[in-house]
Amino acid sequence: MSAASRVSAGLDARIRLSRGEIEVDVALTAEPGQVIGVLGPNGGGKTTTILALAGVLHLAEGHVRVGGQVWDDGRHRLAPEQRAVGLMLADSLLFPHLRALDNVAYGPRSRGVGRHEARDRARTELERVGLSDRAASRPRELSSGQQARVALARALATDPALLLLDEPLAALDPDTRARTRSDLAARLTAYDGVTVLVTHDPLDALTLADHLVFVEDGRVTQFGTPAEVLSEPRSAYVGTVVGLNLYAAQGDSHGHVHTADGGLIVTTSPTEGAVWATVPPSAVSLHRHHPEGSPRNAWRLRIASVTMQGQSARIGLVGEVPLTAEVTLESVTALGLQVGHDVWAAVKATEVRTYPR
Amino acid sequence: MRYAARWRSRVALGVPAALALLLLVVPLVALLLRADWARIPSDLATPTVLPALRLSLTTTSVTAVLCLLLGTPLAWFLARSEHRATSWVRALLTVPLVLPPVVGGVALLMTWGRNGLIGQYLTPFGIQIPFTTVAVVLAETFVAMPYYVLAVEGAMRGLDPRLESVARTLGASDVRYLRTVGIPLVLPGIASGLALAWARALGEFGATITFAGNFQGRTQTLPLLVYVELERDPQVAVSISIMLLAVSVLVLGVLRGRWLR
Repeated sequence: MSAASRVSAGLDARIRLSRGEIEVDVALTAEPGQVIGVLGPNGGGKTTTILALAGVLHLAEGHVRVGGQVWDDGRHRLAPEQRAVGLMLADSLLFPHLRALDNVAYGPRSRGVGRHEARDRARTELERVGLSDRAASRPRELSSGQQARVALARALATDPALLLLDEPLAALDPDTRARTRSDLAARLTAYDGVTVLVTHDPLDALTLADHLVFVEDGRVTQFGTPAEVLSEPRSAYVGTVVGLNLYAAQGDSHGHVHTADGGLIVTTSPTEGAVWATVPPSAVSLHRHHPEGSPRNAWRLRIASVTMQGQSARIGLVGEVPLTAEVTLESVTALGLQVGHDVWAAVKATEVRTYPR
Repeated sequence: MRYAARWRSRVALGVPAALALLLLVVPLVALLLRADWARIPSDLATPTVLPALRLSLTTTSVTAVLCLLLGTPLAWFLARSEHRATSWVRALLTVPLVLPPVVGGVALLMTWGRNGLIGQYLTPFGIQIPFTTVAVVLAETFVAMPYYVLAVEGAMRGLDPRLESVARTLGASDVRYLRTVGIPLVLPGIASGLALAWARALGEFGATITFAGNFQGRTQTLPLLVYVELERDPQVAVSISIMLLAVSVLVLGVLRGRWLR
């Protein structure tokens, strides 16, 4: 789609400002109906970006255009209350003294809608998140998951062109989170504005977002569809999020990949020049002695950490090529894997992917 | 030996502690003992008491309303501002708390007096503030407002600032946010601030007598009357004092669990 139509309908923003220690410079574009997942480490500028889009923080430079309307051009800006924006934060932040219905009706009322009409609208929004029977409840009488859904209904009751969700599920316990996530997904499908979803939970991003933007140290380090990001991470953080071992390296035409730390990895899919190389943790096998047979990659590494994840264990290994290996619990006991011990790690050359950096 | 040492240190701390307590409690007991309880109703019906009571009630009520209307927005600005000047404003605000009330009265005269900073512009219109009931209100507001503002500011600081961000994205102006969310959520703070300010205004003496004088029915509030009656009929002074003591204890009851935890 052309740049011109993108400006007219969806979100087009360049956020530049400094807040505390961090200099933020983030560009975001999206079509109406799209969900942009913003991921990144804490303190990297995610929330700053959200608050600047909402107008709570002021841009030093850049612009925010939504639905063809200029919200901020670095000099003139609309106040938050003048923007067609919906904001939902972690902890829901419902007004504790108002009933659920009046929380949801607060936006329409503030924007000049009459009391009856606003309440009718609020009832509709509560119904859409499956809470019509809790309209008269005060926030403290609702479960955390219900509070989150009321907060979503409240944010959407003003028909925002831009919906901002900052860690909407972070405050929920795991059970509630899974259910609320699917409620959120269902409600967002029916929403035709642009959604910006800030999260540090990859599952939120992968299940809810059409595009992912990774923000680290105030900069965008990667942008793409979930599928693109999953297969080709482009920063150490993204590698961790998608669960791949990732190396910045130099590749040659023979399939030799030299990592920045001096390690050597062999691959059957060579890329020349500056490359990223990935190794799936599940493709790493561990052995007490030097492995026999086919694997082209074998390193003697030291075990730095052992963590359990369901029926498998993740083994953190340090040495020539730092690795995370995913093995069964049986092999943990069979091999006697303990922190501080040395172990041989083997990876087939066919499991190593490379792509240009 | 060890027992004796412990006993000595108990005495070394216990005696001053007991003295401190006595210094505070004995005067209150003395007041209660000296009261002629049977005479209190007739004492309070003395012709001078009723005007003073009425004046005290009206001026302190007006003061409370002024605190509410003017002090609440000030508390809000102080609570949300992160500007460096804010801490200076807050420091300035505490000056009337520690200032001798008489000095406050002199300062008010320098402001509102015939040739005062503001008063000089009022004189041509025939408006005279000092030694009027308005002066009583100004004096009481001067000493009471800081109590109110600091109490309410503290309560407002306890609010999550993100609530305001959310309210604004929902379309609420500052005034609407304050009216519908900010103030309702700090009502306990406003109540204790009002109680504190009102009690302080009720007891105001120094600034009032300096700036407003001691005219019966116009500027003679209850504390001023106590002072006058002490020379004329001490028993009446004691009876009024008992009434003021009762009111103070009542205010304390309102504040308990809010401020005095």
